[in-house]
Amino acid sequence: MNNNEKLKKFFRSKNSTLIILLAIMTLFFWIFSPNHSFLSIRNLTSIANSMTITAFFVIAEALLILMGELDLSPGYIGTASGALMASLLANTALPWFVVVVICLIFGICFGLLNGLLVNKFKFQSFIATLAVGSFVAKGFSYIVCNGKAVGIKNPAIVWIGTKKIASIFPVAIFFSIIAMVIYGIILAKTKFGNSIYICGANREASRLAGLKPKKVSYILFANSGMLGAIGGMLYAARLLSGNLDGTNSYAFPAITAAVLGGVTFGGGSGSIFGCFLGLLIISGFNNGLLIMGLSPYWINVASGLLLLLALSADYLANRRAGGGKIGKPRRLKLTRVEE
Amino acid sequence: MTDNLSLQNQGTEKLLEFVNISKEFPGVKALSNVSFSVRGGRVCALMGENGAGKSTLLKILSGDIQPDEGCVRLNGKEQHFSSPYQSIRAGISVIYQERQLMNMLSVMENIFLDDLHENKFGFVQRSVLRKKTQELIDEFEMPFHPEDIVGHLSVAHQQMVEIMKAYRRDSDIIAFDEPTAPLTDKEINVLFNLIRKLKERGKIVLYVSHRMGEIFQITDDIVVLKDGQLVTTFKTSETTEQELVKAMVGRDIGDTYSNLVRNDKLGDVLLSVRNLENDAIHGISFDLRRGEILGLAGLVGAGRTEIARAIFGADPIKSGKIIFDGKEVHFKSPVDAIASGIALCPEDRKEQGLLLGQSIRTNISIPVLSKLLKGWFIDRRQEAELAEQAVKRYSIRTPSIEKKAGELSGGNQQKIILGRWTSSKMDTKLLILDEPTKGIDVGSKAEVYHIIMEYARQGIGIIFISSELTEVLNISDRIIVIHDGHITGELTREEATEEKVLALAMKEVEGVKL
Repeated sequence: MNNNEKLKKFFRSKNSTLIILLAIMTLFFWIFSPNHSFLSIRNLTSIANSMTITAFFVIAEALLILMGELDLSPGYIGTASGALMASLLANTALPWFVVVVICLIFGICFGLLNGLLVNKFKFQSFIATLAVGSFVAKGFSYIVCNGKAVGIKNPAIVWIGTKKIASIFPVAIFFSIIAMVIYGIILAKTKFGNSIYICGANREASRLAGLKPKKVSYILFANSGMLGAIGGMLYAARLLSGNLDGTNSYAFPAITAAVLGGVTFGGGSGSIFGCFLGLLIISGFNNGLLIMGLSPYWINVASGLLLLLALSADYLANRRAGGGKIGKPRRLKLTRVEE
Repeated sequence: MTDNLSLQNQGTEKLLEFVNISKEFPGVKALSNVSFSVRGGRVCALMGENGAGKSTLLKILSGDIQPDEGCVRLNGKEQHFSSPYQSIRAGISVIYQERQLMNMLSVMENIFLDDLHENKFGFVQRSVLRKKTQELIDEFEMPFHPEDIVGHLSVAHQQMVEIMKAYRRDSDIIAFDEPTAPLTDKEINVLFNLIRKLKERGKIVLYVSHRMGEIFQITDDIVVLKDGQLVTTFKTSETTEQELVKAMVGRDIGDTYSNLVRNDKLGDVLLSVRNLENDAIHGISFDLRRGEILGLAGLVGAGRTEIARAIFGADPIKSGKIIFDGKEVHFKSPVDAIASGIALCPEDRKEQGLLLGQSIRTNISIPVLSKLLKGWFIDRRQEAELAEQAVKRYSIRTPSIEKKAGELSGGNQQKIILGRWTSSKMDTKLLILDEPTKGIDVGSKAEVYHIIMEYARQGIGIIFISSELTEVLNISDRIIVIHDGHITGELTREEATEEKVLALAMKEVEGVKL
């Protein structure tokens, strides 16, 4: 493939749409924000900061969406893990890294419970994860915290949550960047990553071709619980307390970012880089409107419109290549030549 | 009788004309300048290989897609359908190959989907629906009930519901796209009687099928398409099968079967199945040698697919033994079976075989991904090479290995699956082919047969399942016949005839009530 072809391929790809959108948005906010403050170091850090925790949830959702599932629970699992961490640090003498490992395992267990309900008891993932998240995990955070926030004083956790390098760059951001890179590589290059696309596209066909869709599904749900726990612990560490709302509301923005980033339900296409762009657009958009002084209520409306806009741009691009409806799995979008 | 009828119909004789129809899809000219006409009271066959343009033509007729040029004329009047709704209003019903049923709804709701006989308050009159549906069911001589849930019916019965749906509209034009593929002989008979009735009533029937026997049995005229162009038209009574095939393929392929180079030396026993038992199959025992082609014959739903799936580890086994390659094996899942060298090409190519939205490259490499690893990562160059080899070896017609499987014709899709199981990274010793030629055209069928024979000569054991009797008889070295989950007989290649196989396929099994 020569450079010219590479360039062509890039412009036909989804990520190019997103990058163009990102560029237009940046230009707009740069021009119209007071004192062009949108691109100030301080503001960029603030955007990055707002992406840090969501990033984990975006990865979790993206992988499950590729598999054709949806997880509504990681936000609640995150809250429960953050609460558990705070309470273990406050009430036991366990060293901080042991507490972190316990909380990770705790998150994984919830994920496995989701996996069990979906794969063994054949629940719709929407229902199963709603139940596990909003009832079981949520209830658990109340029990652990005994109904009120628990403060965090452990110096290591406080450092992770609040330390800023050169007094502007939060340490936690590195965790998100590392996670994105690792998951990006796993998804694009490894056998496991490939099987997610394949199993998501057609479970039975993949099983008959020698893959293990059930195992993949279990791993992804467990992974979602684990990433939820990481997100929740970072959130608690940042706020210096394990509280009751924590990351509860993080699942939907994460799903939005993943879908905006080009991840399609039931396999087909989507990448972690795309998710990163999706997340960047959403976070930048919210931040931009905020510093322009728009009321937070209107920001919600505007975010919704942005999602619609991005999806229709994608839809139009796809239709040119013989596409179909918005949000439909890619495999239904084929132009069947003739049978 | 016929004279009388034609007199009756003279004033209102129906006429359907396709006028200079052209249709282009991105990169493919699906139809170019196709013109022909069909008169009322005649059954017209549309024939041609996959990709010839038959389905496109039907979709234009049904208003699903619009032609780039040309038009459909009905009784002399030009029609421009922009949706299926308009086409149905104009008296056209098209029954597609893919069933368009709501599986969760009842038979009657499916049949009267667009006309629920609501009363003046807008309430659905279920009793009327039930009565009308029962009348249809009686006319079709079907055993199910109007309130049965469609998803619970057998595939053959579902197909009949689909046909009822179109039939009850009393359309002037009814088009069938491969209606018999999922049907058993019983329903085929019913269907043909219906078609004859439609004919007598002066309706226009369009009929698409790959099965030669049916074409000669039921149709009056034949229109042959090739690569989107009309090749020729025949009167069915004035042509022969060979002439027809020649027109379709564009060359004389001669007798498909006598050209095959059979394997003449069988090896030792590769697979022994003893008393295999689960919910669908009972006491199945047989042996297969290396290089042997064992045909599994029987009616649709007899348990052939279930035997294949049980051996492959796709369905659980209750009791019985499988000895493969000298060892007793217990496969927990297809993964284990594949690891020991067994491959299955499933019956439902589109649902269970291929990932239609994924590229040829991905589809071929699925079972060997772990052999393509370079360190932790998949070696994309090696993966592409593997796919290129398959494309070349089986002459899969595609511009590139990145093309999505769903965009290829049926024959090429089947070749992708064959390519998947026989790539250089696979060590397939037993190949189970479940309906490998279903829905693919004569030319591709012949290619698939040649591939099968080549495998046999290489010493691969082959289990060949097919509903087409001629095919099973001509391909297999030995045939076992299945009925209701039991083996009812075994025939060698020499002694097998259509009559014997059919008799066994319908034989009552002792101790089993049918």
